Amino acid sequence: MGEMHVVGVKELEKMQAVSDEIQVVAFRLNDELIGTHIEKVVEITKNKDITPVPKAPKFVIGVMNLRGKIVPVVTLKEKLGLKDTSDYEGKELRIVIVDTDLGEIGIVVDEIVGALRINKEDIQPPPLNAIGIDTAYIKGVVQLDTDLLVLLDIDAIFNKEEEDKKKK
Amino acid sequence: MKVNLPDDMREIFEEFLVEADEILEELQNDLVELEQNPEDKELLNKIFRGMHTLKGGAGFLGLTSIVELAHRVEDIFNKLRNDELKVTPELMDVVFAAVDKLTEAINMLKENEEIPDLDEIKDLLEKLDAIKEGRLPGESSSNEQSQSGPSQIPEEYKDVVEWILKYPGKTLEEILDELILLPPEERPTEIIEKLDKLISEGKDLKDILPPDLYAKHFGKKEEKKEEQKVEEKKEQTSASTPAPQAASQTTTTALASKTTTAPTSTTSTAPAKKKEEKKKEKKEAEVIRIDVERVETLMNLVGELVLDRNRIVKLVSELEKEFRDHEIIEQLSETVTSMDRTVSDLQVAVMKLRMQPVKRVFSKFPRIVRDLARKLGKKVQLIIEGEDTEIDRSILEKIEEPLIHLVRNALDHGIEPPEERVKKGKPEVGTIRLFAYHEGDHIVIGICDDGRGIDVEKVKEKAIRKGLITPEQAAQMSDKEALELIFMPGFSTKDQASEISGRGVGMDVVMTTVHSFRGTVEIESEPGKGTCIYMKLPLTVAIIRTLMVGINKSIFAIPLHSVVEIVQYDPKAIKGVGKFKSFMLREDVLPLFTLNELFEVPDSKDKEYIIVVRVGERNIAIAVEDLFGEEEIVIKPLGELLKDIPGIAGATITGDGKVVLIVDVNSLVNDIKHKLIGVM
Repeated sequence: MGEMHVVGVKELEKMQAVSDEIQVVAFRLNDELIGTHIEKVVEITKNKDITPVPKAPKFVIGVMNLRGKIVPVVTLKEKLGLKDTSDYEGKELRIVIVDTDLGEIGIVVDEIVGALRINKEDIQPPPLNAIGIDTAYIKGVVQLDTDLLVLLDIDAIFNKEEEDKKKK
Repeated sequence: MKVNLPDDMREIFEEFLVEADEILEELQNDLVELEQNPEDKELLNKIFRGMHTLKGGAGFLGLTSIVELAHRVEDIFNKLRNDELKVTPELMDVVFAAVDKLTEAINMLKENEEIPDLDEIKDLLEKLDAIKEGRLPGESSSNEQSQSGPSQIPEEYKDVVEWILKYPGKTLEEILDELILLPPEERPTEIIEKLDKLISEGKDLKDILPPDLYAKHFGKKEEKKEEQKVEEKKEQTSASTPAPQAASQTTTTALASKTTTAPTSTTSTAPAKKKEEKKKEKKEAEVIRIDVERVETLMNLVGELVLDRNRIVKLVSELEKEFRDHEIIEQLSETVTSMDRTVSDLQVAVMKLRMQPVKRVFSKFPRIVRDLARKLGKKVQLIIEGEDTEIDRSILEKIEEPLIHLVRNALDHGIEPPEERVKKGKPEVGTIRLFAYHEGDHIVIGICDDGRGIDVEKVKEKAIRKGLITPEQAAQMSDKEALELIFMPGFSTKDQASEISGRGVGMDVVMTTVHSFRGTVEIESEPGKGTCIYMKLPLTVAIIRTLMVGINKSIFAIPLHSVVEIVQYDPKAIKGVGKFKSFMLREDVLPLFTLNELFEVPDSKDKEYIIVVRVGERNIAIAVEDLFGEEEIVIKPLGELLKDIPGIAGATITGDGKVVLIVDVNSLVNDIKHKLIGVM
């Protein structure tokens, strides 16, 4: 199982103290370049032993063993309004583990791009509907040289209130 | 009042709290016992000494209000043992109130290092003084309050408010509780319904009472009361210390009888005292107190170790297959076998750390039964058996609430009033038996009463009226199945005051709690003879034995405690009944499902085995494709996102590092149950 650890939070704090830069872990879902604040990312890993959970919501692919802890693995494509054509069964998946209100959750991504530094001033409010992604889950966008980076709002996607709402 | 403690007093303070806890806990039961044996000098002396010790400790630490209370109680018992006073129910009520207040004070000390202000306990102190001097304690405040006419109260609430004022200092929920516990003939049905409605609408006393009455209702201690409410809530969840109810106790008990004195001779018990103290010292030296969290950590670590052990055992057996007869492998295998044993022993040893005698919970019941019986005007003796039986701490904590429910029900609905019992030719005093014992790898905690028993027909009738079952289903039901209906959500809760002689106050809560740690509830009842309820609980929560089964490439673990038997799949023994299938096993016809259909997983091949599982009172057959044998596993939670998936109790990590889901047979079957009533 290949594991790749990302810059620790402590180093990050030091960096923030001197500049207005934030670090973002960037990945691709379909062709979209998506990023999430590095603070939210616990680790990036690969796994092919995902256990499906019957009767779970559709976006839950299953659960995995993360060093003795049980972590749900989800796809965000449907939630964000992207097409989801992939077949996840039995494949080795690239997974970004994020820390949320609902505990650690693994997000399946198509490709890991890497860590990017972004100047806070460059973050624009999300354009309405222009990118085909539900803006409720987006913090903002950043125009890079060739791509538009969409910054996810992890807290908006996974939180207790949303879960409770669904139950009602 | 905040207590300021210099650092060098800390240790003494901590010791005082522990000691005070012990004294007060013993005191509760000693007092109940004393009511039955008011002449027991030994007991009187013991209580006196307890209070004396408490007073001394509190005095040293400058905890004035505790000293004042303990001092007065001590005086009363001094007079009692010298026969200058006599034990009466009224005296005991005040003493109980004082003990409750002391318990509350100790709890306040523990949480915020605070003690009640002297002002707050003034009334109580006066009552104690009155009792001590053989006078009747002063008027009860409730009369005064009901006299003050309901001035600006909306017409619709007028009758409700009248009742509310009879219970000063209590919240709506508490009042509802009190009313429900009234004897049926005194129970104000309409008021209960109205109160229930108000509570369900989220209304508070503030919304109903005009400000002046509200302030009066709660006295000057409104804020304190709120605080206490929060505390009580907290306590209900942790359920480890007796809830402080002192404030309400003192104001609600109406005191109105004479106190007389009757001289008898005093016997010296000095030698006994010495002996007891010696015993105590010895015990203290052998016991260390450990933070629960540390034990939890240890338990988790051992859990991980068990998983690793399973993994290593598996690897070694594979190595053995590969390199048979290799000397090193042989040695490795031996080492692993020995480690295997040690880890198992370790697991048991750590498990034992978490075990506590049920006494901790049972010891609260003499008092609860006494208070309730007095309130309901019934005569009851409580018999406690097997209080040294040990069970996992976390289960013990959660079992307290359901047990209180059951005991209340037994007293309220089960045990008849004395006159009725005499008429029926039963002994005037009813009996409630609270017991615990081991049964295999389970522990059974139960309660029996010799009261009315449950009328099965009435239960059915009510379930039909509530729309829980159809009349046809009712006709097909066995008595045992019908009794189980009282555990269904929605069966009771609302019309407590109905004529049904059965039980039912939140029985579904009992069921849910017991199921939550993989236990089962059984009920037996014979009309006219009484009712028994047994809760069968696992010894521990963290580690369970399971049966590994497979469907369509997935493996699931079924807890062994719900498995009755395993048989080969035999197409000849399977019959279709409507759209359901059933399986003939010897004499029985069991409803049959495939695990695939229960979990909505596509079939991949023919079924090979049938697992018979027990759900409540019924056996159900579940067909699976593969069977992998037994395994001991550590339960891990699935996390917040997936915690409510029906049929899944959690997950575990197997020897090869894969995640296997644990089946929760109860919720899995309940999920499809609505289709099944009548079939099953």
